[in-house]
Amino acid sequence: MSLNLEKVTFTYPGTSVGVFDIDLAIADGELLAVIGSSGSGKTTLLKLIAGFETAHHGSIRLDGTAITHLPVRERQLGVVFQSYALFPHMTAWQNVAYPLKIRKIASQKRRHLAVEALERVGLKGFEERQPQTLSGGQQQRVALARALVFQPKALLLDEPLSALDASLRADMRDEIRRLQREFSISTVHITHDQEEALSMADRVAVMEAGRLVQIATPLELYDQPATRSVANFVGEANLWEGETASSTSVRLPFGLLATAPHDYAPGRRVTVLVRPENITVGPGPDGINVFKGGIVRDRFLGAVRRYDLAVGEAVILGQTGIRGDIDAISIRPEHIRLLPT
Amino acid sequence: MAVVTGIYLLYLFIPIILLFVGSFGENWTNTLLPTGFTGAWYLELWEDGSFRRAFSVSLEVVLATCVFGTLLAVPLAYALYRSASRGVLLAARIVFLLPIAAPPLVLAFGFILLFSTDALPWLGSIWLLVAGHIVLTLPYLLQTLVGDMRHLRLDELELAAESLGATFRERFMDVIVPLLRHSLGSGLIMVAALSIGEFQLSNLIAGFLYRPYPVVLLQAFYGSTGFACAATVILLGLALLAAAGGALAARSASRYRKSES
Repeated sequence: MSLNLEKVTFTYPGTSVGVFDIDLAIADGELLAVIGSSGSGKTTLLKLIAGFETAHHGSIRLDGTAITHLPVRERQLGVVFQSYALFPHMTAWQNVAYPLKIRKIASQKRRHLAVEALERVGLKGFEERQPQTLSGGQQQRVALARALVFQPKALLLDEPLSALDASLRADMRDEIRRLQREFSISTVHITHDQEEALSMADRVAVMEAGRLVQIATPLELYDQPATRSVANFVGEANLWEGETASSTSVRLPFGLLATAPHDYAPGRRVTVLVRPENITVGPGPDGINVFKGGIVRDRFLGAVRRYDLAVGEAVILGQTGIRGDIDAISIRPEHIRLLPT
Repeated sequence: MAVVTGIYLLYLFIPIILLFVGSFGENWTNTLLPTGFTGAWYLELWEDGSFRRAFSVSLEVVLATCVFGTLLAVPLAYALYRSASRGVLLAARIVFLLPIAAPPLVLAFGFILLFSTDALPWLGSIWLLVAGHIVLTLPYLLQTLVGDMRHLRLDELELAAESLGATFRERFMDVIVPLLRHSLGSGLIMVAALSIGEFQLSNLIAGFLYRPYPVVLLQAFYGSTGFACAATVILLGLALLAAAGGALAARSASRYRKSES
């Protein structure tokens, strides 16, 4: 079912903190990740959709029906909490069966459905276990099964992977995505981990100071960030302040950079974005945008190496698989993106 | 450290051990330990109607204090936990500190003044005694419950239950009450122990027909030492019985909720 937010505004009592003028449309079966730094308003947004807080202005619609002022329990939304919020006095199957019990489903049937849901999340044989005897990943799966078993209209995930260690987090990303597709359920996934958002979501919404800054597919967001702050937040980036010299060049503190044709007028202040993986080691075949310098910082990350090359006063962040010495780099014009300052 | 602990434990248990020894001694006057061995003091206690009656009154008062205290404390603790109002939290703090700030004697005088009037002529009734015990023990039970609620992060569990479709009643009965079983158990043990040994308030407000055990026990000290020791040992047993009862009640309540889910 589709989920629509129109001009949703909310501020916490006695503060100016909250979310402002949020317009968002989540299609049926879509997974939308909402990212942003701490205090950007992403969790508040989830609270408003879930009904834990009520919007002061605007409307929230689920499949066309207004739910802005509907009590939490009547919204029919599956919520997975950051801490999982499993009931510690119930076993895994009792946790999953709880929403079915609320819906007055007969005892036998709800046990059957709960066990089946646990099987679907890969927890066959764990039915009688208490939550505290399960690992973080297993608790996460129980929480997912519980949120999905009653066939909610949409799924809300509040930083569900943040409590897991790195290796498990990668597995759980795939698992959540698999289940989300299997259930074909509209999902809002709140996270501060941009890698998680880019790898899982159909679209990503970036929030900043309570406002939506950009909504785009992961590829668009990475390649064409709308602002400097989005570029900075999503992935590693070289961001330099410069001034356009012509329709195909920009002047930077460390030299003139040839760009692809752009629409900025000459003399306009711009931010130049170049991703580290788009920095080529060596002068390149056509000898364009070549800069010489010395490495001032070198980080070996396994498959790749990330280095800082000092060019005059400026530092260029690069990423490569080459392990030898680096004394010059080049940047292809099509890899340069200009952003408004 | 071990020596200090040993000395402290000795200091703690010697009076209790001496009570046991004394309760079976035939004669104990101006000696370190009693002389002779007898079970006569316990028999005498058993045959004394006032002690038997006091024993059952004490059990009734403890039971009623635990039951009504629970019925009051659980919703009250929940309200305090959920309340964000500064005024409510201040009131709660005052209630928590009340038994320390105002001794039972003060409460007893208040009860005498209020309940000996023609409008409220309840002084001497067992229900007033129960009410007094509830007032004295409620802050301890509340403190235990509110502390546990904070520890359990009950607000998030409640939100989870609400998002799954649970009404307030369902959340309260399915999540809050079963989760509080441990703190309720330990709180009730404390309530039972306090109630069974309570003397100051009970001595002033209990009627002749409903004198609890500690009030009647005072008489024993005017008689022989062996009889006083035996009567005190019985009080100790009564306290242990009440504490065990409180713990069992909380445990069975939680099992009942668990089997229902």
